[in-house]
Amino acid sequence: MVRGALAALILLTFAATALAAPAGPPIRIGGTLALTGPLAPTALLHKIAGEIYVDELNKGHGLLGRPVEWVLLDDQSKPDLTRSLYEKLITVDKVDLLMGPYATSGILAAMGVAQRYQKVFPHHSFGMPHLAKYEMHFPTAAFGPEPNRTVPTTVFDALAATSNPPKTVAIVTSKFSSAQFQSSGAKEVAEKRGLKVVLYLEYEFGNRDWGALAARVKDANPDFLWIGVLGLDGNQMLEAMKKLDYTPPRHFHLFPAPGPLALAPDAKNALSVTVFEEHPPFMSNAGAAKLVPLFRERATKANVPYPYVETQVAGSWAAWQCLEAAVTATKSLDDKVLAQWLKKNRVDTIIGKLRFDGPNNYGDDLFRVKQVQDGKWVVVWPREFAAPGARLLPP
Amino acid sequence: MPSLTLLGQSVVSGLLAGGLYALLALGLSLSWGLLRLVNLSHFALALLGAYLTYQLGHAFHLAPWLAAGLIVPAFFALGVVLHVVFARFRVTEFTSLLVTFGLAVILESLIQWFWTADYRRYETPWASASIRVGPLFVPTLELLACLTAATLAVATWAWLRFTYVGKALRAAAEDPAMAGAFGVNHRAHAFVLSGISAAYAGVAGAFIALISTLAPAQIWAWLGTVFAVVIIGGLGNPVGALLAGFLIGVSESVTMAVAAPAWAPLVSFSILIGLLVLRPERV
Amino acid sequence: MRQAIGLLAAGLILAMLPLVGLPAFYESFLYLVFHWVALATSWSLLSGYAGYFSFGHGAFFGAGMYTVATLTAGLGAPFLAALPVAAVVATLLSVGIGAVVFRVKRLRGELFGLLTLAITFVLATIVLNTRLDGGPGVYLSNVPLPRLVASPTGTFYLLALGLAVLTLAAAYTITSSRLGLGLFAIHDDEDVAEVEGVPTFAYKLVAFALSAGIAGVAGGIHAMYVSYLTVPDTFSITVPLYVVLMSVLGGARHWLGPAVGAALITASLYAFTGGQQAILGRAVVAFVLILIVLLLPEGLVPAVLRRARGRRERAADVAVAPILAAAGARTEAPATLDCRDVWRAFGGIQALRGVSLSVAPGEIVALVGPNGSGKTTLINVISGHHAADRGRVELGGATLTGRPAHEIAGLGVSRTYQIPRPFAHFSALDNVALAATFGSARCAAAEARAEARAWLEFTGLGRRAAALPHQLNLHERKFLELARALAGRPRVILLDEVLSGLNPGEIASAVHLIRQIRERGVAILFVEHLMRAVLELSDRVVVLNEGEVIAAGGPREAMRAARVVEVYLGKAHVA
Repeated sequence: MVRGALAALILLTFAATALAAPAGPPIRIGGTLALTGPLAPTALLHKIAGEIYVDELNKGHGLLGRPVEWVLLDDQSKPDLTRSLYEKLITVDKVDLLMGPYATSGILAAMGVAQRYQKVFPHHSFGMPHLAKYEMHFPTAAFGPEPNRTVPTTVFDALAATSNPPKTVAIVTSKFSSAQFQSSGAKEVAEKRGLKVVLYLEYEFGNRDWGALAARVKDANPDFLWIGVLGLDGNQMLEAMKKLDYTPPRHFHLFPAPGPLALAPDAKNALSVTVFEEHPPFMSNAGAAKLVPLFRERATKANVPYPYVETQVAGSWAAWQCLEAAVTATKSLDDKVLAQWLKKNRVDTIIGKLRFDGPNNYGDDLFRVKQVQDGKWVVVWPREFAAPGARLLPP
Repeated sequence: MPSLTLLGQSVVSGLLAGGLYALLALGLSLSWGLLRLVNLSHFALALLGAYLTYQLGHAFHLAPWLAAGLIVPAFFALGVVLHVVFARFRVTEFTSLLVTFGLAVILESLIQWFWTADYRRYETPWASASIRVGPLFVPTLELLACLTAATLAVATWAWLRFTYVGKALRAAAEDPAMAGAFGVNHRAHAFVLSGISAAYAGVAGAFIALISTLAPAQIWAWLGTVFAVVIIGGLGNPVGALLAGFLIGVSESVTMAVAAPAWAPLVSFSILIGLLVLRPERV
Repeated sequence: MRQAIGLLAAGLILAMLPLVGLPAFYESFLYLVFHWVALATSWSLLSGYAGYFSFGHGAFFGAGMYTVATLTAGLGAPFLAALPVAAVVATLLSVGIGAVVFRVKRLRGELFGLLTLAITFVLATIVLNTRLDGGPGVYLSNVPLPRLVASPTGTFYLLALGLAVLTLAAAYTITSSRLGLGLFAIHDDEDVAEVEGVPTFAYKLVAFALSAGIAGVAGGIHAMYVSYLTVPDTFSITVPLYVVLMSVLGGARHWLGPAVGAALITASLYAFTGGQQAILGRAVVAFVLILIVLLLPEGLVPAVLRRARGRRERAADVAVAPILAAAGARTEAPATLDCRDVWRAFGGIQALRGVSLSVAPGEIVALVGPNGSGKTTLINVISGHHAADRGRVELGGATLTGRPAHEIAGLGVSRTYQIPRPFAHFSALDNVALAATFGSARCAAAEARAEARAWLEFTGLGRRAAALPHQLNLHERKFLELARALAGRPRVILLDEVLSGLNPGEIASAVHLIRQIRERGVAILFVEHLMRAVLELSDRVVVLNEGEVIAAGGPREAMRAARVVEVYLGKAHVA
């Protein structure tokens, strides 16, 4: 009898594992990314993150027991192409679900299409919350509804908590829409807090000559320099200032390419913001322990110079997590059902517990202040999110 | 009111930036002026040279000048090969635009294939070095780039002016049939010139790797300004390209120092427009 | 005509597409195709036809985009009303630029390209730094899109289709009209075109304005399509570069060429968008592009047409009537050419010093003198290529000095060039027909071809009517110059060394021709070094030296004057 029960148990286990592999027609999730063109550097990271997610899904139970297929197209960093490709995905390829593209302009173009076809629209890199007016969009670039106020506030709070907070501020920002938006907010916040803004400059996105800007900053001699950077502008600024034998005592970079900045010799103690870093307490977030080694492996194989999980990758992962959570919880692929669920529930993601019930579907501002210490990024503020034993190193 | 130091520093910065523009513009100016071929792939070639410099430095720890020593002759050969194709198909000025555009896209794809789209930065110890001249700082790398540009410009000018090959090229550019009647072997000279243009692209690339960050789409970032430098300096006029580079670099830099920086292109290009419309003859 | 009907029919059929209920993507894709068809074709109106390579199409496109954005999002104007305003703004911008730039002779070729590129950067910077955009971009999602058909994609499709059809219709009309003829002539040799009577400044301005206006509308429609404008996306290198590529690929001189190039390149953008092949896909597309251009350098459309039709035979539209009869049908009132005290300097060199001479109808006056004496300069001044510093030139009482060259041509002045300057892309027949179209005869198209054929027969080039200039030898080219000069039905004809380089037999025919021209009452001023012809042909001789008239009179007396001998042979030979 025991043998019979054991045999039955073994048989059942076999059957269970066989059934566990996803089977049936695939669930197709469609999206585009800037695989070529000027936005390609960061879109590459989103591609890898998405591929890992889908592979892991398919290694497990898939979605609703079915395998998942990511129909990914290249929008060449062009918003008009993005729009038409999302139309293709929806009306020709007839995908089941959507995943958003990379960066603000593309997301807005795609959002219009999603709205017309009433598709639930998760996305991970939108920087202008006040422009996102579609009820079924779900952002995981967790800026909160007013990043131009909340992000600078976090940063200045962090600085105020040090032994000698800065009294003068210089703000140099690129005119890239989201960077400029948050940097102009930084100016207002600084002034409200009684700090003196000794310099406010906006430069053209794509600027190549940093000498003059560096000279102006050196001339203004601020206690704190806020650079509204996208990509590697911040590195170039620091280098240009170093050539003038000047290093600002404290400097903050808004959206830097994380790897090069951490490794740059002039970037000692650079500050930035992030939603995730590879250390506690973030490592205990949902999926972190799984993603970090997988990403390291895939990114290294793909020849990416900085194969660590940070804001962009984590944001991407969170978007996929939200989609999976909604589908799994509602057992449905109906966009309206999924959207309703997401609006009412909180999702446990790699960047924390996300909610979408605020203005324009934004929840909390989850951005924390991080700093380059010994060639690595560590979160230093707020204290409950700081790496164990880390604090904002003053100049 | 900006201080004199600030103004002086911005002039220095502008001159040096202009030197880099000129370095890029040299090869383009030569092939456009003397071979009547608009070579859009020049930028792609320069970026390829930059990536190769980066790779040789990163993976094989080869110093940049050694890397350049390998890259420049290789690019010379590449330039010759390119011109073989152009000559074989009798490519004209119009069609050269299209062909070199295609080539630039192919090169961009190649670069992205090998090095991914992610940003690359060639970190070297000299990146922040500079020489102090009174209250002003002259960054070493940019200075080197500028001096190289000046040397190459003057050397090329002298070569065009005083050597047989140079004169033959200029004659053939003006009137190919007549030059041929005088025994000018334009074909052979054209290969040499094409090789030199590409070699200059390689040199520019080495400096771009040291000074700038690398991403495949950077190819298109320099297009507008360098085209302006080439044309305002006069097609086929190496020293003109140098001076035009300085002009644009300084006007942009000084604007960035005294006004809202984003206005810089307006000033430099307005000066350009003014010069073109009002001056009776070009530089 | 058949082509025009075909175009309209295609347009109507395509307009029904939204009713078929295709997936929205196809409408979007076709929207983009038509969008680029309009952009590329409008670019070639000036740059392809007249050869003024503009790198500034992006400026007009961007001006249109931001005009619509500002009016709709900023001021709440309805979208369809904003489109014509976009056209007007772009047109005004181009007219402003053209009015300044087209007057400056040396701003041609690559300088014009640079200028237009610079203007794009200037405009982009202005938009980036003012309230027009300022950096954050302009958001149009709240602007209502008019519902031409049920779906928004269908609406964009129809708008772009309409614009593309209009643009192609304009291109087709232009290429078969006087405007097009003039533009093609400007492409080959602007100065000669002007002298043949083409109002070059006006034509360039019209082409430029039309080109810009269309680009402005295309931009305006596109603003609604992308619904979020940023300066880097709008004023990127894409528009200026791609319109050039598309036009060159398809054939920049043909009305359908840029459209074909646009369709191909737009389609290729979608060919390899699959995520795994994106990078290699681009390289493959680029490679195919290179192959096409290397193998078909004039562009796809001309190559295909040439294959399809074989050598284009131009059938004579009208029977060739004997020239004298045709000549008799329309006579111009004969007039005397009068130069009074004409002065002209170039920098420090005084080329003409108070030159006075006159040529009566039916008179042949030879203008002789050593090299550098100012003979060609005088011809240039009379024909209007150079302005006179001082003095007057009159023809039959009407003042010529101070008028643009094309007006002077219209009044009945023709000239030939020392080194023949035919329009390189025009056949011999078309070269002469152009002069008939724009000269004082002002013929309509078919009439001009008949005239041209007649004059080619007159000069003995009847069999070579379909030949291109590079296929003609020197003698034929000189006679082509002559035929072209005559087709304008001039009242005075200026011949600049028409006999140089001809062999004795050819010289004899030329002399015979010139005599026949004189018999029709035309006043002839000819510059010549060949003394035999001078003595044989001329009624009077005017001798120039260093810009001054040093002798005038009957051929033998003038040539024997002491001063003339001294000037030609040196003092020792006088007496």
